Parts: sequence; structure tokens; C-alpha cells
Amino acid sequence: MDITLKVNGTERRLAVDVRTTLLDALREHLDLTGTKKGCDLGQCGACTVLMDGQRVLSCFTLAVAAEGTEITTIEGLAGEEDPLHPMQQAFLEQDAYQCGYCTPGQIMAAIACVHEGHANSDDEIREYMSGNLCRCGAYPKIVAAVRQAKPLMERA
Amino acid sequence: MPDGNQAAIGQPALRIDGRAKVTGRARYASDEVVANPAWAFLVTSAIARGRLRGFRLDEARAVPGVLDILTHENVGGEAEKPKPMAGGDTTTTLESDRIWHDGQIIAVVVAESFEAAREAAHRVRPDYEEEAPSASFGSPGAEEEVRKAGEHKDYKVGHADSAFKAAEYKVDQHYGTPTQHHNPIELFTTTCAWNGGKLTIFEPSQFVYGLRGGLAKQIRMEAQDIHVVSRFVGGAFGSRGAATARTAWIAIAARRLGRPVKLVATRDQGFTIVTYRAETRHHIQLGATRDGRLTALRHEGWEVTSRPSQYNVSGTETTARVYACPNILTKVNIVHADRNTPGFMRAPPETPYMFPLEVAMDELAVALRMDPVELRRINDTGTDPATGRRYSSRSLMPCFDQAAERFGWSRRNPVPGSMREGDWLIGWGCATAAYAANIGPAAVRITLEPAGKARVQIAAHDIGTGAYTVIAITAADRLGLRIEDVTVELGDTELPAAGLAAGSSHTAGICNAVAKACAEIRARLAGAATVTNDGPLIGLDPATLTLRDGALHGPGGRSEPLARALARVAPGALELYSENIPKGLPPESIDKAYQGQMSMSRGHSREDVTAYTFGAQFVEVRVHERTREIRVPRAVGAFAAGTIINPLTAHSQYMGGMIWGIGSALHEETEIDPKAARYVNDNIAEYLIPVNADIRSIEVIMVPERDEEVNPLGIKGIGEIGIVGMNAAISNAVFHATGRRIRNLPIRIKDLL
Repeated sequence: MDITLKVNGTERRLAVDVRTTLLDALREHLDLTGTKKGCDLGQCGACTVLMDGQRVLSCFTLAVAAEGTEITTIEGLAGEEDPLHPMQQAFLEQDAYQCGYCTPGQIMAAIACVHEGHANSDDEIREYMSGNLCRCGAYPKIVAAVRQAKPLMERA
Repeated sequence: MPDGNQAAIGQPALRIDGRAKVTGRARYASDEVVANPAWAFLVTSAIARGRLRGFRLDEARAVPGVLDILTHENVGGEAEKPKPMAGGDTTTTLESDRIWHDGQIIAVVVAESFEAAREAAHRVRPDYEEEAPSASFGSPGAEEEVRKAGEHKDYKVGHADSAFKAAEYKVDQHYGTPTQHHNPIELFTTTCAWNGGKLTIFEPSQFVYGLRGGLAKQIRMEAQDIHVVSRFVGGAFGSRGAATARTAWIAIAARRLGRPVKLVATRDQGFTIVTYRAETRHHIQLGATRDGRLTALRHEGWEVTSRPSQYNVSGTETTARVYACPNILTKVNIVHADRNTPGFMRAPPETPYMFPLEVAMDELAVALRMDPVELRRINDTGTDPATGRRYSSRSLMPCFDQAAERFGWSRRNPVPGSMREGDWLIGWGCATAAYAANIGPAAVRITLEPAGKARVQIAAHDIGTGAYTVIAITAADRLGLRIEDVTVELGDTELPAAGLAAGSSHTAGICNAVAKACAEIRARLAGAATVTNDGPLIGLDPATLTLRDGALHGPGGRSEPLARALARVAPGALELYSENIPKGLPPESIDKAYQGQMSMSRGHSREDVTAYTFGAQFVEVRVHERTREIRVPRAVGAFAAGTIINPLTAHSQYMGGMIWGIGSALHEETEIDPKAARYVNDNIAEYLIPVNADIRSIEVIMVPERDEEVNPLGIKGIGEIGIVGMNAAISNAVFHATGRRIRNLPIRIKDLL
């Protein structure tokens, strides 16, 4: 069926199966492959995107259900030549990743974590970032990245 | 050899691929764009042993969009089974009607869309002829045999049995470790596209040439006609070494269809279509004198493998040589069950085998009423007790001392259960970590431009290790450039071959190759600059010239800009191809790398020295007095691994390894239904791995160490050692907290009730 998705500020028309997830729509129909598939079961968080500013698992959201919402993916945070979003910059500087596969989901979840007001202490960050698995084990540096980016985001 | 300044090597540097990773622009295999792909979905066996009488495919074919269904009946003869990197033989998939294990690939459905392929795959109706399977150790029908010496050796030094009998202090215990799965967050994907007779494969890989060479044999092609691309890999941990079964069938599906085919296998399929860490059992006997000197060490292991495979990890290769001991005996047995073939998983031998040794050492320390650190000190050695060879370097005790100091070990009350805070029992434990210093051959092409930019091309693999960055650092260091002036291309069989990114060997292999190539460039520039009739360096000894800060420098402040020095030897850019064959490997090992065969100089089987990385790991656990919940508030690891190229990414690797160790000790276990021989928790909600809230303070100490024998740059591996001591350190800490000695992993609440 034909749908229109508003992704990173741009309206995109696409034809999808009713069963197509938002994740597959982004990756396979819109070539926005920054959002990753790690389990397709809502278990790992690699597919996290923002929908109307809230974090959602795009593998657990049907594309048709995303019509009429504002979707932000990792590609929407900074243009190719632009300065990075403070959270992206913090992940880069803290080495808060290794393979980088869970990283887009971690960054989107981390931005939401700050916006939700769930980044007030290391313990709180750990708890509210626990929906995003990192098999390389970058967790302490992810906490440090969120801590680094939070004041910069609040100032912006 | 004055090959350049040492400014870059050893200085922390941000990843050069970092921006690509944080912006989502890094293309992992399934992110690569192919035109108009069809989608594949695997059908896997619901039984663990038997035969396929056939399939009913009418329902599946009727799903709109279905294009093709591959089974043994229509494509079985078109491929041979893949050859594993170790263990000889493996199980089949579509090559025959035989079912060797649950979750085996038995059909591939191809359709216009992922959704249609998935639906049709669930409508394929296999007709099974089922037999009762054997799941694991002790299952009826499991076949045990003694592992013969081949890939791995057994050690017999002195008379371990009589020395054990005569020993004043003894430990004589049995231990076990569970099945574990790598579960990298990137799924197992394969995209195949044909262009005439040429095949391009996008697949996450730790060895693109291995995948190419292996697949060429499987589908009877010339390797040169296969192009494998794997530029970014979303975690590997050993799971993406050799070609596995899926790739050939996706290539054949794409050939039949005349259209690219894309497979993204599901998370549960990842438990059975690739390898895993098999469960192990151990019997350890330690004998010691009253003052703690080991007099006997006997270690016998049992490992599960598939029916046709001889795969085993034989971690006795390491446990036999960690401590001074005059009487050593090792033995390994393999047990064949109806299971998929296991394979390498982070520190494949040491993770399961160092656990029993290091718990036994803690038990011995308790029996002797001796501090466990002091027991290690008494049995430290500069000589490999299994072979009598010297260690090229060994900094085990500096690691113990620095980690103990940071941890505050001297404040430990050794009595179990004696330390507590409120309802939490506190336990402190430690263990030795050891991992062989390995290295493989590699070739590299470096292009140096007059503007002071370099391009390094090498079919190495960045599986999260920071390979892109350590290559850039090494080239910058040796060519006298800034890191940002070096671009690096990896993960592509159109680039010069590098070996397998595994065995903690990759940084040593690729950085030594890059340094050698840079030395050759320097020698060419220096040679020309000193015999020219124009320029400031004329007449100097070329060996005294160095490249730094974009210029060629001689003694006495004489120098000339790089562009001028370069113009003398090349009209534009200088392109240089170089091969590096580490000491001890035969000249043909580089050809083997191109053919996709693994060749590696291993730290435990060198002719000249024994080369190992050592470390010491300390852990605090807290066990809740009533609920028995186990937490790990802090861990300290100290490691000495020779030259560290990039301390920033090295820290991440050590830390990640230690977090893997927490997972291994407390969380991870693939549970197997004993009757059905089926993995039960085949997803990452029920196969538990650490989440952010499980991890608190992880401290890493990099103990300085110079080793001029291990390889020219003095690099030992760091990717695996971080996990090695954690299993035992945590178990030992749990004993200290509770008085309960847990000899089977993982340690769960039920073990402490």
C-alpha cells in the first residue's frame, strides 16, 4: 500500500506491504541504513528511532502506523558536512562503541534519555539505557558520553 | 632502525571511522546498496537427527511474490559443504537429505519481498524421518573419544600421577562450562549479486579471503571471480571466520534468479547456522608442597562437537604452561552429539580451560592458608614448563601487583563471609589471565602522494577492534605524517591479503606489515636523496635519514620536503606493495592468505620462544544475604601486551573483554532441551548478556612491557585476554563472599540458595 512518511523533516512516499516494519521501510525502501536490525524482536534496541520526539523500536512499529508522525533517524542528526550533534560528538570522543553497530540506536536512545529527564545520575543513565544492548561492552563509556552530552544539549 | 618518529604509536587517537559510525553512514554488509534485490528466508530443521523424505511446497509456492525454493532435491548437487577453519569435517545442509542438528538449513525461500519470503518459509512443510538425538554430555548415543594430537598437542612432563599421589596438599575437582553463543548485534547476513560469471558478496567477515577461497571450492568457481566486501562488521567474536553454509545457497539462489539476493538471517537462526562455544567438562588435579610450590598438574578436558567434526579448543595448551611445575599431564576428549559444529568464540581455549585451573589455584590457596596472589608469585616462571623454552617476556607479577594495589587487595579479610555491608555479602577474588601472542602474514599497498597524504590498502578487518585507526597510526608514525593525512581501505578482496582477524593476532600482523612497507618507502626515498646531484641530503648514509613532519630529515638539521624527495623516485604518487611473513612462518604463507587458508605463528608453538600476553584480574562481587542476587560493582584488570598502538581503543577492548567475562560467569548459557537436542533460549532476551545496568566500574591498567622478540613492533594481542581470568575471578569472589565454591558456570541465584 502507498504511504507517506515524514522522516528527518522530509516527506517520503513509498509503497509497502502492510506487514512492513518501520525499520524495513527506512532501511530497504528509503536507504536510511543507519538504523540497524539486531533482532527484529524488540530485544536489542539497535533499531531505536525517535517518533514525535519519543524513542520507539522501529522493528516493533509497522510502517503504516508511522504515518502522520515525525520520525528522526541517526541520519537526521547532522548533515554530512555539519557539526555533529553533541551526543554523536560525545560518543566519538568517549570511544563509546567498538563495532559501531548498536551505536545509532544507542545515540537515539541517549538523546531521548536526556530529553525524558532520565540522565540525572550514572545509575539513572544505566537504568534508562539498558534497553540498548552493546555486545562489545562499551557501557561505561556510553554512560560517560551521555554525561558529557547532557549539559551541551540542555544549553542548546 | 630510524624509521620515523614514535609520536603516533602509543598515543591515544580517536577512531578515524568514528564519524561514519556515529552518523549511521558506515555501511555494514546488509547496508550496501544492490539494485532490485530479491529476498531470501531460511527454512531450518525442527528436528535434530534424521532424514528428509521430501517437502510439500504447494502452500509456500502459492504465496504471492515467491520466486524460488531451494532444497536438497533441486540444488543439492550444486555445492559442497563448507570447510571449517579447524576440526576437519562439518555437517551438511542442502547437499543431502541428512539432518545433523536442530536448526540446520534445509531450504531457502526466495521472494519479491522480505515479508513474502518469511511467510512462504513458514509454509514449507518438510516430511521428516526422525531419529532420537543426543543432546550433550551423558546423552544416550553421544560418542566419546580421546582427542588425538594434531592441531593441538598433549603435554607429559615428569610423572604427574605419582607426584600427585605423593603431594602434601591437593586439589582434585571437576568443573564445567556451558554452551555460549557469540550473538554479535549485527545479524548473519549475506547479499549475493552476479555480473556475468563474476560474483560479488557482501557479508560481515573476519577473513574476506577465507570466505572467497572457501566459497570458490564449494561452488566450484575460480576464486578470482569472487569479490567479497566487508567494510564494517557489527561484531564478530569468532563467529565470522570461515565460509558457513548459508553463503553458497544465497549465491546459487542469485544465479538461478539472475538477480541479487539478500539474506538477513533471524536472531534465532544465528544460534544454529554458524558456530558457538561448546560446553566443556574438566578434571583438575593439583599437587603442592607446604610452601605452595606446585608439584603436579593434571588437566583433562571434555568438549562437545558435532557428529562429523573433530573440533576442539584444547585449552590445556595454555593451562600446561602458566605455572612452574615439574610434573604435567594433559588430555582432551571430544564428545560427538547431534549438534551444529562449534567454532572459535572469544579466547576459545582459555575461557573454558583457565576457569577450572584458576578456581583450583584459589582452592589450593585456601587449603594452604595462603594469599592467592602469593601462590601465583611462588609459581611464577620465566620458562615455559611444558617445553622448557624461555618466555619472550612475561609480566604476570607486575600485573598482579599493580592490579592488587589499585583494587585495595591488602584490605581483604581472607575469611569467607567476613566482609559485608548491610544485607550485602562482599567477596573479593582474583585470577590469572593468559593468551598466546599470535601473528599472521599480511600484504599491503601504500600510496604516498607529494602533498603528504597516504593511502593504505589492506584486506584487514575492523570488527570493532579499531583496525582502521591502528593502521593509520602506524603509517603516520612511520611516514612522518599526521593521522588525518592517512586514509585506510579494508575488508575487500580487491585489496592485498591479510589473514584472519582472530586469535588476537590481527594488530600484530597488519601493523608489522604496514611498518615494513613504510620502511621500504623510506629506504627508497633515502636511497635516491643521498645519491642525487641536487638536494641537501647528498652523500649522507641513507640509513640515517628519517621521515617526519612531512619531510625527509638527515643528521645536522639537513632536510628536504617530502614532495621533492618523492619526485625523485616517482613521477606522481609512489605506490608500493609489500608482503610481511612473520618469523617462523614459511614463505608460502602469504600465498595461503591469498588462497584463504589460515596460517598463524602461535605463541605456544614457536621454535625460538614462548610468547604470551599475561594479565591479572580482580573482582568484587556483592551477594544479597536473603535474595542471593549477585552484583559486580567493580573489576580491575592489569595486562601487559607489549606495544600498545592506540591506548584509547585498547582500553575499550580490554574493558569489553572484562564485560564479556562478567557475562560469561554470571549470565550466559545456551540451554539445551535434553530430549529434543534443541537450543531453548535462542534469542537475546532469554540468552542473557550484560546490559548497561549490570556493569559498573571497570578499571583497566596497561602495564608497560617491551618485547623485542615477539615481532618487530613488539605487539602482543589484546582482543581476548580481557575475558580470560574473569570466570574464575568471579567464582573465587563468590566463594569469598559466601563460602560456596561454584565449579560450574554460569553462577546463578539458584547456586547460592
